[in-house]
Amino acid sequence: MTLTLEQVGVAFGGFRALTEVSLAIAPGQVTGLIGPNGAGKTTCVNTLTGFQRPDTGRVVLEGRDMSRLPAHGFRRAGVARTFQAGRLFGGLDVLDNLACTGVGLGMRRAAAEQAAAEVLHWMGLEALESRPAAGLPYTDERRIAIARALIGNPDYLLLDEPAAGMSEKEAADLAGLIRRIATEKGIGCLLIEHNVGLVLSVCAHVVVLDGGRVIEQGDRATILGSAAVREAYFGADQAEAA
Amino acid sequence: MITQHRIRRRMATTTPILLALLLLAFVALTLALGDRAAARMASETLIRVTLVVGFWIFAGNSGVISFGHAAFACVGAYVSAWTTLNPAMKATLLPGLPPALAEAHWHVLPAALTAGLVAAALALVTGAAILRLSGIAASIATFAFLAMVNTIWANWTPVTGGTSSVVGLARYVTPWVALGWAIAAILAASLYAASASGLALRATREDEVAASASGIDQYRHRLLAYTLSAFFCGVGGALAGHFIGVINPDGFYLSLTFLMLAMLVVGGIGSLSGAVIGVLAVSLAVEALVRLEKGFTLGTATFALPPGSQEIIIAVAMILVLVFRPAGLMAGREIMLPARWVTGRGTSQN
Ligand SMILES: Nc1ncnc2c1ncn2[C@@H]1O[C@H](COP(=O)(O)OP(=O)(O)OP(=O)(O)O)[C@@H](O)[C@H]1O
Ligand SMILES: [Mg+2]
Repeated sequence: MTLTLEQVGVAFGGFRALTEVSLAIAPGQVTGLIGPNGAGKTTCVNTLTGFQRPDTGRVVLEGRDMSRLPAHGFRRAGVARTFQAGRLFGGLDVLDNLACTGVGLGMRRAAAEQAAAEVLHWMGLEALESRPAAGLPYTDERRIAIARALIGNPDYLLLDEPAAGMSEKEAADLAGLIRRIATEKGIGCLLIEHNVGLVLSVCAHVVVLDGGRVIEQGDRATILGSAAVREAYFGADQAEAA
Repeated sequence: MITQHRIRRRMATTTPILLALLLLAFVALTLALGDRAAARMASETLIRVTLVVGFWIFAGNSGVISFGHAAFACVGAYVSAWTTLNPAMKATLLPGLPPALAEAHWHVLPAALTAGLVAAALALVTGAAILRLSGIAASIATFAFLAMVNTIWANWTPVTGGTSSVVGLARYVTPWVALGWAIAAILAASLYAASASGLALRATREDEVAASASGIDQYRHRLLAYTLSAFFCGVGGALAGHFIGVINPDGFYLSLTFLMLAMLVVGGIGSLSGAVIGVLAVSLAVEALVRLEKGFTLGTATFALPPGSQEIIIAVAMILVLVFRPAGLMAGREIMLPARWVTGRGTSQN
């Protein structure tokens, strides 16, 4: 019972962003996805959430082929995501930002606001409730984006570089939050991060992408010991020297 | 504990009441002038409120500019004419009407409701195709829709009378009738804005991509708002027809589209109050200009603007608003009672 990509290929014009990518996100666990800039990480998330149709291969959720579903259909099927660019609804206040997901999932407005208040409480962010989303500081913006994705308890949550631009301390807090999301709510997470240390500290299983292909996957030791990973990150020369 | 958010939601419920009172005061004041021209201006303004508030239900919440809403007014006006005109007159003016319509001689209220419903049905069908397009493409398609309706109406002579006017509509639209419909439109608009669908649609206005990641089916909510919006434009069209008593397709074409857009831009597309204030501001300005065009006497000298300067001045006013107050006079704010008026006794303690 997982959310998986099966042999997925995505091309933009002649450029192959993903080639035969297979990966699985396990329920209740945090899976890491790392790789250099342009490796295809965001394209993976887009494909896993219905924002990008795979040209070949399939997206499968709990045995069901999702490849033809629109993005909002993925969310309703329990696959939530955040964006590298935050993308809050700037003109709405924080509670309404969260309530939007509630109404998107078919709740009435009062129920959606109730669900929103509960998630804010769970994250300890009640104080932000009535603030306009547009003026939020960067880290709060990131946390509200995660809160918005948690409405209605999705089965999976895909986080695209949630810690980008955060300080060491803020990133560590975020890591704690992601662990809680997986253990307390039982949500299967995919964590994309450039901060490899952060990923290795949170994730039981890590997938490494380079040039649109999966070049390695496994636990912390496997990733640290992998020559292919070192080569992708530091270039062939250093890998040989090491 | 009562949060700021809840207080704002409660304040928002006072908006339609205050807007209704504002319009009521407007009617009372203009009628108090005892001037027939002023009473006509009041009716005309309130009909425009119905049209522009209807228009706002879609454009304001979705952020998609529609150029097609004058077509719904056109359809509404003709539906009301078809159903209320004296059958003997229809036999000569509109010989091609199907028998059921040719013999219809309805009361004006069911005719106005039917005008709205037919416009809404047309919006549902055409919107189903148009609203699958994204933002600007959808706007262009609504313009094509407007041009199509105008062309059909101008050429379908046996049924619409073609470009020659249909005359003899019962002139029942007093300022009070128009006020009733304007208030109905305002209530519907604020109920929609407060609904789950209204919130979902505003989310798509803010960020389409993030909205679909929130499970929001943009197309569905747009189509719902478009249909509701067309209902009031259809009714507004019927009222406009019965106000003048004479209709022709060009009365519901480019100049009406321009006027509705100008009003919404001047008031501010970001709020319901903006839609209402925009209509009042533009209508009052136009009224003042019309009087200047006729000329007024100061001592022994008579001043008059050259005829036709009205449109130019509206356009200039719109540009000035766009330059100096791009979000419109209301800049997205609503007219509401202040917070301390809407929080009950219990809340002053915490
Ligand atoms: N819509 C698109 N059209 C054309 N090329 C695209 C498109 N989206 C992504 N690409 C290309 O596909 C490749 C993979 O992009 P992707 O955004 O998935 O990388 P990423 O691993 O998320 O990178 P980053 O770490 O910089 O976020 C890049 O070379 C990018 O330029
Ligand atoms: Mg990326």
